[in-house]
Amino acid sequence: MDQNNSIPPFQGLASPQGAMTPGMPIFSPMMPYGSGLTPQPVQNTNSLSILEEQQRQQQQQQQQAQQAQQANTGPGTSGQTPQLFHSQTVGGSTTTALPGSTSLYATPLTPMTPITPATPASESSGIVPQLQNIVSTVNLGCKLDLKTIALRARNAEYNPKRFAAVIMRIREPRTTALIFSSGKMVCTGAKSEEQSRLAARKYARVVQKLGFPAKFLDFKIQNMVGSCDVKFPIRLEGLVLTHQQFSSYEPELFPGLIYRMIKPRIVLLIFVSGKVVLTGAKVRGEIYEAFENIYPILKGFRKTT
Amino acid sequence: MAYQLYRNTTLGNSLQESLDELIQTQQITPQLALQVLLQFDKAINTALANRVRNRVNFKGSLNTYRFCDNVWTFVLNDVEFREVTDLVKVDKVKIVACDGKRQNPGALT
Repeated sequence: MDQNNSIPPFQGLASPQGAMTPGMPIFSPMMPYGSGLTPQPVQNTNSLSILEEQQRQQQQQQQQAQQAQQANTGPGTSGQTPQLFHSQTVGGSTTTALPGSTSLYATPLTPMTPITPATPASESSGIVPQLQNIVSTVNLGCKLDLKTIALRARNAEYNPKRFAAVIMRIREPRTTALIFSSGKMVCTGAKSEEQSRLAARKYARVVQKLGFPAKFLDFKIQNMVGSCDVKFPIRLEGLVLTHQQFSSYEPELFPGLIYRMIKPRIVLLIFVSGKVVLTGAKVRGEIYEAFENIYPILKGFRKTT
Repeated sequence: MAYQLYRNTTLGNSLQESLDELIQTQQITPQLALQVLLQFDKAINTALANRVRNRVNFKGSLNTYRFCDNVWTFVLNDVEFREVTDLVKVDKVKIVACDGKRQNPGALT
């Protein structure tokens, strides 16, 4: 438990002025132990108190010490079983054996793999997060006269006193674009990467038809947002206690728990209902990977009442 | 200086046509016609602001919108104008709207 206590617990932070999101602790990448990049499911934490979890971990440590012959290739661990350590694989994310089942596998001939999938829970969740929003940018490569664009294009707003860009919308794909006088453009609202690119091209064509020498340079997807439902309620309080380093939960500020996963670098909003929002991805795979990482953990914090 | 928004209305256009006729027949100068139109702008703005009490609701689907120079321009399709008394349906209507609350009178044309 020393390792857990060596990290100062997060205090509730006041949100910055005018911010919509709750204040976030500044997460330092300098983890004192291991490389807790990918969260690991602790155990079946149906326990009601931290004390029981501590006891369970002590039992685990004793059993691990007994099996010390195995070269524990888990990185950053030396005979101990910290709650969180790095794992590369997706399938074998349940790396800490359940206390109940350890006795079954406690033979000297236990395989050397650091991943001991004691439960079939390490299989895929069967739930695929749906993409809800893609934000992308592109450079049209020429200076633009925003007033001309606002006067001649359809479905455009331009209020330079409030914001220095033309806000244009198209219906298919249903998206919104911010077009700046420098020629740079932000395209938001698409549901897939291809749709985002297509929409950006449509906006570029509108600008081109107005007489500007628009090009399509450096199209890049900047952010992807996905959401899904694990279909069971979640004990957020338990989750924030065991995954303090990654979680921020202040129900008075925001009803969702903010989980900042390090690998992949994704922020998840986890709600009591079981709905999960994932954001911060540059590619679709990061969303899927993050969800596959979090799903076994969430299962461990399923509400049973 | 009031909005010149209402010059392109039935009333405003009739006035402009009449003034053009008078100019053609040399009965008034173009400068005078301009003054008449400016007076018309003031009069119509104050009349609509102070002497109009009835209310009309309308509902339709939005075809296009535009916001530039603090002027909204909408084109709606299949619009129903509803007053307590009656109902008018049109296929297409163009709405040009200026800001109601005067913030910077100097900026008006």
